Amino acid sequence: MSHIHLPDGVLPVWLWGSGFIVMTLIGAVLFRSIRQEEVSKRLPLLGMMAAAMVLGASVEIIPIAYHVNLTVISGILLGPSLIFLATLVVNVILALFGHGGITVIGLNTLILSIEGILGYCLFQLLWRVFKRLTSAIFLATFLALLVSTFSMIGVVSLGTSHYEEMIHREDQQGIFEFEILKEKGDHPEKDVKKDGINLRRFMAVVLPLGFLGWLLEGVITSLIVRYIYRLRPDLLRLKGVTS
Amino acid sequence: MIQLSYLDYSSVEGKSWLHRCSAATKMIGMGLVLSGVVTLRSLPGLLFLYAILLALFFISRIPSKIFSLTLYPLIFAVLFIFVSGFRTYFILLIFLKVLCGSTGVVLLMATTPYPLVFRVLGKFLPSLFVTALFLTYRSIFILLNVLEETEHAIHLRGGVQWRYPWRSLVNISNAFGHLIIKGIDNSEKMYEAMMLRGFKNKIHYRGE
Repeated sequence: MSHIHLPDGVLPVWLWGSGFIVMTLIGAVLFRSIRQEEVSKRLPLLGMMAAAMVLGASVEIIPIAYHVNLTVISGILLGPSLIFLATLVVNVILALFGHGGITVIGLNTLILSIEGILGYCLFQLLWRVFKRLTSAIFLATFLALLVSTFSMIGVVSLGTSHYEEMIHREDQQGIFEFEILKEKGDHPEKDVKKDGINLRRFMAVVLPLGFLGWLLEGVITSLIVRYIYRLRPDLLRLKGVTS
Repeated sequence: MIQLSYLDYSSVEGKSWLHRCSAATKMIGMGLVLSGVVTLRSLPGLLFLYAILLALFFISRIPSKIFSLTLYPLIFAVLFIFVSGFRTYFILLIFLKVLCGSTGVVLLMATTPYPLVFRVLGKFLPSLFVTALFLTYRSIFILLNVLEETEHAIHLRGGVQWRYPWRSLVNISNAFGHLIIKGIDNSEKMYEAMMLRGFKNKIHYRGE
């Protein structure tokens, strides 16, 4: 749900353009902070985790339009710097299959990497506090998804004036709904307000579906981590646990 | 995700004129489609663009199974119509933009082998990023095999039954856990193989 499943051309140019610029800046800062050898050594792992995220994203839970992201588990396994590159790669590949627009890759990467980085940090913090794996991973995933979903809603709301412009273009052109609008013509200003952008309705649809998704992904991620912990605890790099 | 194999097969085995066009030309074409999607705000214009893309899709004799991939993003576009107050014009505009964008990229990937796409990208993007992109694409097929095997094993043992949702969820999650562990094992082997072949942060494509 946190993924912006908007097509190309819906968000204003300044918004997706800024997304690309901010993504490039953050990427540059993160890659300056890690050693080149470390990156090249972990590139195959990054590829595998990004592939797992792509596969997760392709399993659609149709009634709630949700798919698992696996971003938090990837963040825990890759660390905060590499998860940024992994989310960028995932978004490019998903966009190449028509899953999310190409122009929104920058914004998608920022939002998904918030999920991965926040998930990693929260997991490390909650593990230290609770010392209970399932609770720590569930809460970390749930909170990270919550924050990223609100970030997505924030991004969508930034384009409000642009959507209004697109809707009002219809009124100027008079295509399809011209007759209906003509009947309402007695109170044109009222009608435009009534039929204009409705972010509350959008949130009313997205948040309940998102809530189900956060719960589901929280449970799935907890079960996955529990499975990994049983077989390869070294992968989780937990402090205070010897493998 | 199974359509991904068809997509790959179509891009390598296809013989149409679009398959024979250079990757750079097709990517420029994709850029034009994208700029059309971004700038066009009239339904006739977008319909015309979509009609051209559909015509190219069928002229190129791309397997029809792949066509469903172009419709997939509509599932998410449905959510976005709630912003508009159900205005027919806005909904049609959004849906056509979705369809033009997805048909364009699917057309590109179904007629161009992915190493050629990455080779063009490698000319103007950092090599580290292009290498990561290449390794991810390759890993998808490795993991798809693991996923298929695990899926069969779970299916044969009755691992996913809607009567037992919790047990099914645990089994599905364990399958993903298995996928991740197998993936990590494979990535370690892949890294060793790449080092043996002289990998130095860049993958070289044929013709370079």
